[in-house]
Amino acid sequence: MSVKTALAEIPRTIWTSIFRHSLPSSELGQAQTSFTNFFLHVHPVKVNRHTLKATYTLGLGLISFFLFLILTVTGVLLMFYYVPSTTQAYDRMLDLRGSVAFGTFLRNMHRWGAHGMVIAVFLHMCRVFLTGSYKRPREFNWVIGVFLLLLTLFGSFTGYLLPWDQLAFWAITVGTAIAGYAPVVGEKMRFLLLGDNTVGQEALLRFYVLHVVVIPLAITLLVAIHFWRIRKDGGLSRPAEADMAPGTEALSVQVMAAPIELKPAEGKQSFGLMGLVRGPFTKVGNTPENTVFSWPNLLMAELFVFILTVAAILVISLLFHAPLEEPVNAMHPPNPAKAPWYFLGLQELVSYSAFWGGVGIPGIEVAILMLVPYLDRKPGGVGRWFAKERLLANTLFVSFTLLNVILIIIGTLFRGPNWEFVSPW
Amino acid sequence: MSTKVSEQNGTRRSFFTWFSSAALFGSAVISALANFVFLKPRATYGQPSRFSIGKPDAFPSGARIAIETRRICVAREGNQIAVISTTCTHLGCIVGVADTGFACPCHGSRYDQDGNVTGGPAPKALPWYQVKLAPNGELEVDTSIEIKPGSYYNV
Repeated sequence: MSVKTALAEIPRTIWTSIFRHSLPSSELGQAQTSFTNFFLHVHPVKVNRHTLKATYTLGLGLISFFLFLILTVTGVLLMFYYVPSTTQAYDRMLDLRGSVAFGTFLRNMHRWGAHGMVIAVFLHMCRVFLTGSYKRPREFNWVIGVFLLLLTLFGSFTGYLLPWDQLAFWAITVGTAIAGYAPVVGEKMRFLLLGDNTVGQEALLRFYVLHVVVIPLAITLLVAIHFWRIRKDGGLSRPAEADMAPGTEALSVQVMAAPIELKPAEGKQSFGLMGLVRGPFTKVGNTPENTVFSWPNLLMAELFVFILTVAAILVISLLFHAPLEEPVNAMHPPNPAKAPWYFLGLQELVSYSAFWGGVGIPGIEVAILMLVPYLDRKPGGVGRWFAKERLLANTLFVSFTLLNVILIIIGTLFRGPNWEFVSPW
Repeated sequence: MSTKVSEQNGTRRSFFTWFSSAALFGSAVISALANFVFLKPRATYGQPSRFSIGKPDAFPSGARIAIETRRICVAREGNQIAVISTTCTHLGCIVGVADTGFACPCHGSRYDQDGNVTGGPAPKALPWYQVKLAPNGELEVDTSIEIKPGSYYNV
C-alpha cells in the first residue's frame, strides 16, 4: 500500500474506529446498531409493537426523561451566572434578565421545564397505575418510580429558593415549617436542611448544593436503574395477546408458551445458552413474534417525543416569563404566603391541621403508593387502560388522585389574604 | 471424626462471615451517621438569641410595639413589660400586631393580646421571652429562654 492511500484512508479509519457499523441496511445491521452503540444499547434489539403504541404510553416516561435532560442542560448553563449568596442571588436574577444573552429565555426554559417535569412524572405514574403496569414482575420498578416522583418534587422545591425573591423565601419558610411537624425528627430535620433556625444564607447554600448536585445525581442513578429494570422485567407492560403474531390463535400460543422445565444437574451446571429465559416469554416458544426492530422504529418514536417536548418548552418559554417578585424581605410575608403550587394541596390541609396536613396524610399517601404493588397482587388486567378486572383499584386511585388535585386547585385559586376563601372570578 | 472437624470449620467460618459482615455494615452505618454530624452546624450565623432593645422609656404604657427584625413584640402596661414572639407557631410566618392581638397572614391563625390562640390552625400560643434590665439600664431579651405567659417584668 502506498503512503498516499494509507493517508487517504485515515479519516475512514478514524470514523470506523468510532462507529463500528455503517447505517444498517440489513436486519443484522439493525440489530448490531442497537447492540454496539453505547447510547443505543439501552434499547432491546427488537421491541413489541404494543410498546410503540402512542395511545398506550402517551410517551409520558420519555417526556419526563427528556424534560430532565433539558433541565440539566439549562441548569448547568444558568450555574455559570448564578451565585448562591443572599446578597447576590437576586441581583444575578436581574442580570440574567438584563445583561445575559438568552438569560431570560434559559431561565424560562428551566422554570417551565421543572413545572412540566412534576406534571409529566405525575401523569406517568397515573398511566402506569391505570394500565396495571406495576404488577409482577414490575413491582420494584414502581417503587423506584415513587422515589423518582419524590426526588422530582424535592428538586423542584430546592430550586424554588434560589432566585431569593419574596415568592422563594416565604414558600420555603412555609414548606420547611411543614417538615418541622414530623414527630421526633421533624425539628432536627428542618434544622439540618436549613443549617440554621430560619431561612437564610446557610439554607440558600444547602438548597443550592442539593439542587445542583445531590438531587440530579440521585435522579440520574435511579433513572438508570428504572430503565435497566424495564429491560430486565421484560419490556414495557403489555397484554398477553400482544406477544402473539397477528392472526395466531390463542390456543397454539398456550401450547407454545409452556415454560421449559429446567432440572438442575447434580453438582455441576453448564450454561451453554447466552442466558436462561424464565416464564412464558421464551423466545423459543414465541415465534412468530409480534416485534419490530428498535432501529429505526423505537428510535423514531423517541425522537418524535423528544422534538415534541423541546418544541413545547421552547414555545411556552417564548410566551411566558418565569416569575420574579420583589427581593426577600424577611420582615414582611406576602399575604397569603403560598408554597409552590404542587404543595398547595398540602398547605390547604395544613390550614386545618398542621400535623395531619403536613406529615400524617402525606406520609400515609407515600407509604400506600410505595406498597401498591405489594397490596394489589391480583394478576390480570395488565397492559390495558381501565381494565374491567381492575375497576376497584382504578376507582380508588382516581378518587385519591382527584382529591389531591382538587385540594391543589383550592389552595392555588380559592385562597386569598389570611388564607380565607376567595373566588377567582 | 472428619465430619465433626468439618462441622466445626463450618461454625467457625460462619461465625467469621457473620462477624465481618456485621463489622462492615456497622462501619457503613457509622460513616453515614458521621456525615449527618458533619452536616449539622455547631455554630449558626443567624442572629444572637440575647440582645438589647433599648431603654424602658422607649415603650410607653399601653404600647404594643413590634420589632420586626427580632421577630418580637414588646407590650407594656403600666410598669409591666412583656416580650412576645411574633413568629407564628403554625408555619413560621410573621404575625401582624394589632390592638386586639396578633393575626397571621399565611394561614389565618389569630391570637389574643397575650398570644393565646383564638382561631385558625396554630397549634399553640405564641411564646413569651425572658426580658430584664441589664446593668446599663437597657432592656435585654433572651429568645432562648421562654417564660410562662402572663409573667410580666416590672420596671
